[in-house]
Amino acid sequence: MLFVGSAQTGVWPRLLAAFAYCLPLVFIVAPLLSFLSYSFFSMENGQIIHDLSLLNYKRFFTDAIFLPVLWQTCLLCLAVATLSTMLGFPVAFLLANLKGRRRYILLLMVLVPLLMSYIIKIYAIRSILGGNGFLNRFLLWTGLIAEPLSLFVFNLNAVLLTLTVLLIPFAILPIFLSLERIPRSLIEASSDLGASGMQTFIRIVLPLSLPGIVTSATFVFVLAIGDFLTPQMVGGQSGFTFGRIVYSQFGTAFNWPFGSALSAILAIVVISVIAAGNWLEFRRR
Amino acid sequence: MKTKMNRRTALGLALAAPAILRSSRAFAAKELRVMAWQGYADDDWVKEFEEQSGAKAYIVFIGTDDEIWAKIKGSEGKDFDVFAVNTAQLQRYIEAGLTTPHDLSKVPNQKDVLPRFRDLSQVKGVMRDGKVHSIPFCFDSIGIIYDKDKVNPPPDSFETFWDPKYKGKILAYDNGEHNFSFTALTLGIADPFHLSEEQMGKIKEKLIALKQNVLSFYTTPDEALQLYKTNDVALIWANYGQQQVKAMKDAGANIEYVNPKEGALAWLDTWAMTSGVQDVDLAEAWVNFLLQKKIGQQLSERTGFGNTVVETGSAGANDKLVWLDFVEDPTKRSDLWNEVKAQP
Repeated sequence: MLFVGSAQTGVWPRLLAAFAYCLPLVFIVAPLLSFLSYSFFSMENGQIIHDLSLLNYKRFFTDAIFLPVLWQTCLLCLAVATLSTMLGFPVAFLLANLKGRRRYILLLMVLVPLLMSYIIKIYAIRSILGGNGFLNRFLLWTGLIAEPLSLFVFNLNAVLLTLTVLLIPFAILPIFLSLERIPRSLIEASSDLGASGMQTFIRIVLPLSLPGIVTSATFVFVLAIGDFLTPQMVGGQSGFTFGRIVYSQFGTAFNWPFGSALSAILAIVVISVIAAGNWLEFRRR
Repeated sequence: MKTKMNRRTALGLALAAPAILRSSRAFAAKELRVMAWQGYADDDWVKEFEEQSGAKAYIVFIGTDDEIWAKIKGSEGKDFDVFAVNTAQLQRYIEAGLTTPHDLSKVPNQKDVLPRFRDLSQVKGVMRDGKVHSIPFCFDSIGIIYDKDKVNPPPDSFETFWDPKYKGKILAYDNGEHNFSFTALTLGIADPFHLSEEQMGKIKEKLIALKQNVLSFYTTPDEALQLYKTNDVALIWANYGQQQVKAMKDAGANIEYVNPKEGALAWLDTWAMTSGVQDVDLAEAWVNFLLQKKIGQQLSERTGFGNTVVETGSAGANDKLVWLDFVEDPTKRSDLWNEVKAQP
């Protein structure tokens, strides 16, 4: 109502609309475009050469290390997405079946980890994972193992576990929302018609929550693939991921153009995954 | 009516804003923007300097050499006035025109430093074309930390890092440049800073073998300490030398430090002014302030590093130290290091 007086002239609404369009244009589209244009530049003697070329992209496909690392990273993130969704589903299901205040209190508790700093969480997980870390000491104490396990000590497994723990809240939320949206009447109708609990779950609940599951998996995948800190901090000598290569181009290598090209390639992977997720969701409907 | 008031007030504020900003800036006319390593600009020193100079000092702490380069080069020297940089790294800043030479008459304390740092023409790397581009402040060697309970007899060579006995019990440093240099020393290459293609190939193979023996590559001393606490670690390639030794001993670790017989890489940190320095006198005052005996003493007590004004036991008199130099191609070493890390 603030601009009621000026509505007749139409200046304010138009300005407001222009502002609304400008904001994403200036803060999202423009930086992305500058990023993309950097990827066509090249480096010579520590200086960025502002001539357009496809050299960086050529190097990505011809150098033997980049494709395998990207592929390995994709597999890792796929595993993280699958694991997070599988572990997140029962939690979301439980939450959706709770009633009243308890449901939201528990939901809030699931989301509390998101309020903590991400770095602090990684540090905490590191003290749990190490050779004399909490996990190994606990297993030794219970007598389940006789020697400290090296299974989760600074390797790809540790990265998988850490990313899953960090990203699980992002998997729970979309599944919870999709489960919550299933009308009670459908489930009642199903059991009225004689379906068992299991049948109802498999034929009604699961298909209807599928969009949430797909959203969860995409969400987690996209967040995991952009991460370079977790592999750096818990990956040890074998946990080398694509994100770390990109990171090194902006740090140690000081090759911004090549780093931009690698980021652009990563963006293409991410966009494809989101598109595939979308397609899966709509195909079901 | 209310709408108009709001709009007018907003307009008034918008017009007044630049004036308000200007006046607030005038209060803190003198400001010094410092980029330093942890331990080079402690709070009590900064406070004392601010009281003496009447200026406000803004300190930014960095974690790696490459971060300094990215920040200084990224802003073409405009974001900082003075920065801490080692003599090896300094060369590329000089070549890129990112430094402003010092005027030693404005740094009188430099006359009273230890003999080996007094004649700056004898300190490799700090001078170019008769101009002093940076002033030595702090130095240390990069040796081996070993756990006395797990490594016996004490190691005397870098070869220990390749000993299968210590597989999975070694912490190395995540940096291609240094790793290629120290591996070159291990292989007996005389000049580890200027390697041929063939030498690089050999070193890369050797580093891939090292990787198999290593638990993890760390980047900060805190990180190494945490890894040491939660894992069975016997040997550490001590990129942070005495600083790491001190932190680990404080945490109760039963460790010792040696400089290996092949020669330890050693760094010398200096203060350089950027090409974008706003107040040269203030920047020189900062450097002069830090070259006091009291500060040097405190620096060594707090960090364990050798300082340039007071004698310390940082490296033994007979230890072989190889002063770090600018390497032939940092980008190439970084790329090769990525290849080493990407090896399955």
